[in-house]
Amino acid sequence: MKNELPEEIERFNIVFRIQHIILFTTFLLLAFTGWALKYPEVQQSHWWIKIWGGPRTAGIIHRTAGITMLLDFTWHVLYLGYLLITKKMRLNAKTTIIPLPKDVKDVIHNMLYFIGIAKTKPKFGRFSYIQKFDYWAVFWGMGIIGLSGLALAFPTKTALVVPTWSLNWIWELIKIMHSDEALLAIVFILFWHFYNEHLKFGKFPMSMTWITGKLSIEDERHEHPLEFGLLFPEEKIEASQTQQKETQK
Amino acid sequence: MRKILRVLPGFLIAVFLCVPAFAQSPNCIICHSSIKARIKDPKGIVVDIYIDADRFSKSVHGNLDCTTCHIRFSDNPHMQPNLPVNKEILTLASEVEPKAKIEPVALAACYQCHGQIYDALKDSIHGKNIFVQKQTDGPLCLDCHGSPHYIMPKEDRTSPVNHWNILNTCGKCHNREDISKKYGLSTEVIERYKESFHGKKYILGYSNAPICTDCHGAHDIKNWDDPDSPVSWGHRVATCGKCHKGANKKFVAAITHKPVGKDNPVAYYGEKLLILLLLSVFAFTIGHVILEAYSEIRDNIFRKGKEEHHEK
Repeated sequence: MKNELPEEIERFNIVFRIQHIILFTTFLLLAFTGWALKYPEVQQSHWWIKIWGGPRTAGIIHRTAGITMLLDFTWHVLYLGYLLITKKMRLNAKTTIIPLPKDVKDVIHNMLYFIGIAKTKPKFGRFSYIQKFDYWAVFWGMGIIGLSGLALAFPTKTALVVPTWSLNWIWELIKIMHSDEALLAIVFILFWHFYNEHLKFGKFPMSMTWITGKLSIEDERHEHPLEFGLLFPEEKIEASQTQQKETQK
Repeated sequence: MRKILRVLPGFLIAVFLCVPAFAQSPNCIICHSSIKARIKDPKGIVVDIYIDADRFSKSVHGNLDCTTCHIRFSDNPHMQPNLPVNKEILTLASEVEPKAKIEPVALAACYQCHGQIYDALKDSIHGKNIFVQKQTDGPLCLDCHGSPHYIMPKEDRTSPVNHWNILNTCGKCHNREDISKKYGLSTEVIERYKESFHGKKYILGYSNAPICTDCHGAHDIKNWDDPDSPVSWGHRVATCGKCHKGANKKFVAAITHKPVGKDNPVAYYGEKLLILLLLSVFAFTIGHVILEAYSEIRDNIFRKGKEEHHEK
C-alpha cells in the first residue's frame, strides 16, 4: 500500500495561490477602469466609467490596483528567490518555468499534432510552453505596462529621472507602451488564458487548481508526463499498477 | 394691408405679453420678437431680425436697453436711435468693420463695459490678426461667445465658452484645414489634444482635466513662442504647476500637440514596433487557440476511443 499513487498532488502552494488571486483581481480592476480612458470617444465609455465612479474615482482605483499588482509581483519574485536560496525549490529542466529549446520544439510538435501530421502530443514537464508563455507574458507586462504606468502616475518625478535627450519622444513612447501593451495583455488573457484554463475540454468552466492548488493524478499524468515521471519514477508506477491490477482481480 | 392684418393679432398679443417684461426697451422687442424673418440689406447681406425675447431676458445682457449697443444704425429702415457715438467707440468700430455684418458700432459697443478685456484681446494673437493684419478670421467677442442677445454666464452648460464646450468652440477654427494652413498652424492640435491624457479625461467628463484656455489663456491668448504666453518656455513651469505640483523644466516638455511623424523616429518607429508585436502575438495566440480547439474537438468527439494518444 505504501507505494500507491496519491489521488492528487499539490501543484501550487498557498503563497502562489494568494499571489495569483491578487494578480487577477488587480488585473481585472485595471482593465475595467482603464478601458474607458483608452476609448473615450466611444459613447459607451461614458456610462462604463460611471459604473466605476466617474473618471476621478476610476483613476484612483486604477492607481491603487496598479501599485497593488506591482507589490504582488515584487512579492512573487522575492518569494522565488527565497525558495531558491533555501533550496526548497531546485532548478530542473523538467519542472522549470524558464523557457528552454525544448519549448520551441514542443510548439512545432504540438502544431503538427493539431493539424493531424504528428500522431502524438508533445510531452510536457511541470509547465507546458503554453503555461510558460502565459507566465512570461505577465513578466513582460509588468515591465512595460507597470513601469510606464508608474511613469504616468508620477509624471513630475519621472521627469527628474529621464535623460534630457529623450524628452522629444519619451512621453509619447510611455503613453503608447502603456495603452498598446495593456490592450495586448487583455486580448492575450482573453484568448490564451481563458481558453487554456477555462474553455478546454475537461476544464470548463475552470480548472479548480487556482483555489485548491491540487491537480488530480490523472491530469498530472496526462498534462505533465515529464514531471509525473520525475515525481513517481518508473518502478514505483509499475509497482502500483501491478498492485492495482491485483486488487482488481 | 392683408400682410398687416396677418401680423396684427400676433403683434397685439406680443405687446401685452412683452411690455411688462421689457419695460426698458419695449418698443424694439415688440416687433423683433413677433416677426420671425430675415431681411436682405441693400448690400445683399441677410440679417435675422428675430429676437427670442424669452432667451434674451434670461441672458446676462437681458436687462440692457437695445440702444446700449445699437447706438446708431447706418443704413436701414430705422432712423432712430441716432445717438452720439463716443469717439473711442467710433475708432474701434472702424477697426472692426471687416468683422461686422452690417453695423460695426454695435460690435465695438462691447468696449463700453468690457474695456479691459477688449484691450487684452486687441493685444492677443487673435486680436492682432484683426487689428494689425486686417484679417477677418480672428475671433472677436461674438465668434466665441455666440449671439450677443443670448450670452449666458460661462458656468451655464449652453454657453459656447463653458468648460465643456470650449474644445468645440476653439475647434470651429483650429480644426479647419484652410485656416490652419493659412496661418501655418498644425491641423491636428484638436485631434492631438483628444489623444492626450488631458483630452481623454476631458472627453470622459473629468472636470479637473484642462481645456485649451486653461493653459493658453483666453482673451489675452498669445502664440506659444511669445514670451508673454503662459505656455512659453519661460512661463510653462508655472502654468503646468497650477495642477502638477513639482513641475520642472523637463516635465513641461511633455506637451507639444505635435503629430508624431518620421521626424521623431523613436516615438514613430517605437509605436510601429509595438503594434507589430501586438499583431503578431494576436495572430499566434488566436491561431494557436483555433487550431487547438479544432484538435480537441477532433480528439474528444471523433476519436473518443483513443484517449491515450500521447502515451505513445
